[in-house]
Amino acid sequence: MKVKFYSYIRDYTRCKAVDVSGCSTIRELLCRLCELYGKKFHDAVFKEEELSNEIIILVNGRNIHFLDQLDTSINEDDEVTIFPVVAGG
Amino acid sequence: MFGWTGNILRVDLSNGTVKKEPLNLQDAKMYLGARGLATKIYMNEVDPNVDPLSAENKLIFMTGPLTGTFAASSGRYEVVTKAPLTGTIGASNSGGHFGPELKFAGFDGIIFEGKSEIPVYLYINDDKVELKSAEHLWGNNVFETTDEVLKETSMDARVACIGPAGEKGVLFATVMNDKHRAAGRSGLGAVMGSKKLKAIAVTGSNSVKVAKPKEFLESCIDARNKLKAHPVTSTGLPTYGTQILINILNESGALPTRNWRDGGYFEHAEETSGETLTEKYLVRNKGCFGCSIGCGRVTRIPEGKFKSFGEGPEYESGWSYGANCGVRDLAAISKANFICNELGVDPITMGCTIACAMELSERGILSKDEIGRTLKFGDAEAIVELTEMTGKREGFGDKLAQGSYRLAASFGYPELSMSVKRQEMPAYDGRGVQGMGLAYATSNRGGCHVRGYLTSPEILGVPQKLDPLVTTDKAQWLKIFQDLTAVVDSAGVCLFTTFALGLPEYSAMLRSALGWDIPDEEILKIGERIWNLERLFNIDAGFSKADDTLPPRLLEEPMPSGPAKGKVVELQEMLIEYYQVRGWDENGIPTDEKIEELSLR
Amino acid sequence: MISPDKCIGCRTCEVICSFSKIEAFNPKNSRVSVIAYDEAAISVPIMCMQCEEPSCMIVCPVSAIVKNKDGTVLIDENKCIGCKLCVSACPLGNITFNTGERKVVKCDLCGGDPYCAKFCPSEAIRFTEASPKNINRKMLIAEKFKELFGEVEE
Repeated sequence: MKVKFYSYIRDYTRCKAVDVSGCSTIRELLCRLCELYGKKFHDAVFKEEELSNEIIILVNGRNIHFLDQLDTSINEDDEVTIFPVVAGG
Repeated sequence: MFGWTGNILRVDLSNGTVKKEPLNLQDAKMYLGARGLATKIYMNEVDPNVDPLSAENKLIFMTGPLTGTFAASSGRYEVVTKAPLTGTIGASNSGGHFGPELKFAGFDGIIFEGKSEIPVYLYINDDKVELKSAEHLWGNNVFETTDEVLKETSMDARVACIGPAGEKGVLFATVMNDKHRAAGRSGLGAVMGSKKLKAIAVTGSNSVKVAKPKEFLESCIDARNKLKAHPVTSTGLPTYGTQILINILNESGALPTRNWRDGGYFEHAEETSGETLTEKYLVRNKGCFGCSIGCGRVTRIPEGKFKSFGEGPEYESGWSYGANCGVRDLAAISKANFICNELGVDPITMGCTIACAMELSERGILSKDEIGRTLKFGDAEAIVELTEMTGKREGFGDKLAQGSYRLAASFGYPELSMSVKRQEMPAYDGRGVQGMGLAYATSNRGGCHVRGYLTSPEILGVPQKLDPLVTTDKAQWLKIFQDLTAVVDSAGVCLFTTFALGLPEYSAMLRSALGWDIPDEEILKIGERIWNLERLFNIDAGFSKADDTLPPRLLEEPMPSGPAKGKVVELQEMLIEYYQVRGWDENGIPTDEKIEELSLR
Repeated sequence: MISPDKCIGCRTCEVICSFSKIEAFNPKNSRVSVIAYDEAAISVPIMCMQCEEPSCMIVCPVSAIVKNKDGTVLIDENKCIGCKLCVSACPLGNITFNTGERKVVKCDLCGGDPYCAKFCPSEAIRFTEASPKNINRKMLIAEKFKELFGEVEE
């Protein structure tokens, strides 16, 4: 599946997007990404075991908060977006 | 006096007289300042059915009690008059340094009435106030005007002015201050132009005092610490500016694309995003007076046919010229935005009006002959060229100068104008962010995002996560957001602080500045009072429930793709609930009980 | 230490400086001023640099200006006669005469914890000793000034 990064998350991943396969939930995906991108990424995404409230994750445009949160299941065709809470207007 | 300076300047442009008047403290206590107080004064003095561009109309510049203090981001002031674009109450807020300087000169606000025979500008140097000829400035752009006025008055003065667009009555002309800051929406610059008032320069040496200095300092430090601790105001806005939202709204499937025709996903969004702006063109951040956020962008397009230098673009203009016109060239978008600042044009309405013309043209409703060029979505040169022509009202620009509603209606297709009450909606598709649909339909100045920014909870989860695709609770939330926004605008601080601050922080700053002893709820009540006052103006000006609506595209054409696929804005359901929550009758008119409760009239 | 490259031009320093001295907000009463250059896209906070050999101190006819043991150059208000010679003598223009207060005003580093540095949102003003490392940074900034004046002269 395609995973896209925005805003200063890119400072940790050093790329705008990555293809990942073999993860069936968002939690699994995040753990995989933490292995790839290290501690800074981990600290930005997780607060202890749970998702940091400064991070928003979309699966096909839907915030996982309104799906099954970290247990949201994902498949190979899904598009996942990860960005920090930022705003404008 | 504390918070306020206690003085209002009244300038009669018809006979050239200037008068210093005491501030009506009773009104100030009930409506705070800036947006609220200026609207109250305006309604006391002007018939709501006035022609906005006539001598009978008045134009008010007003600061808030926190403007110019150590309060968080306290550089704001408001311009209030009847809006030429919409016919509703017009209230546009701006930052920079002009508002605080007006207070340092010893005035809370200025009321302009009448109409001058010849172009003039006002120079305020503390108590010394004079009208000077601006005949030699007429026709100059915003930067030239500002530089010349500074030279003629004082180099440490602050200048608010109009560009050619305001002079020529472009219906969405802005009032610009400090060169790059705009009281942007609804065409208030055209009112200034109709009065032949080119500029206001102000310099002052007085102090703004607060009632309880120690408590005030503590409350400001608390607010500033919270702004430093919140990711939006400490990292997101300073690093990427407001354009950071482009990718996020796009991924959420709610970035309106090609005059809202192609749904909420723009395939080239990344190229127009805040990330790209920062990487390619950002020179430095800029902050308004007393601001710890610094969302302003100083931008340089170093080469190519769009080579230019200026400030911005912000998210809304990045979208209006970008995704909404189908344009992927960020250099062209930036250049078009700079021209808006130079000529004094609102980039939201400008970009949206060009987008509307693009759709009219692609459908064959508008011909190449009428436009003077071919016009299709994605044409980067067109956005730059047409903006310039509109600001100067040249060629087809003269038609565009009326905004998208009048343009589309003149060809018999008003439904292709993506506007509410004739003002173009900004960059959030209500089909994918339901609460924003209700916010647009009910905003007191038509299509506008800064009256109740439900994008914050619906997309960003601040201060709480609300599902953008459902209508549940949106009416209640919108009421609170609208009321709190009215407080923030009227206090004289920046709306962006609301990402990190809430009612308790604003109340603490206001109480210690003004020496008040009232609970938070009473302060929020002031916001509700202001909201209802504006509503009463609009009703008196001829608006009704029928105007609390959205373009048919949002109500009838389902979103073609993305998470909101198949959805329209479920407006009726939310609107009925909204009227109830507001204590209005089923026609959206504030009930007698509500009017009494708020001590209006 | 000032770093104009970091200054966002918000003038928070001016606001808080005046408040710390007179409990009111008045940039004309501030001991620090931010000078903005629009075209060069730079703002420069200017304040007393606490000179090692202060001209103001040397010129003062009543010895109202002294350098204390921390190196801070201070004006003794009781001794000051308001002659304004120090205003003329400062080569940096960092002493001003406030016509409202009828007083000579100059930065006193807030007794060792300057408010301007404490509340500067972008760390453009910091309160540190000028170390060799800092000096290198100054060189970088000096380059920017060079660019700035280059543009002005064009």
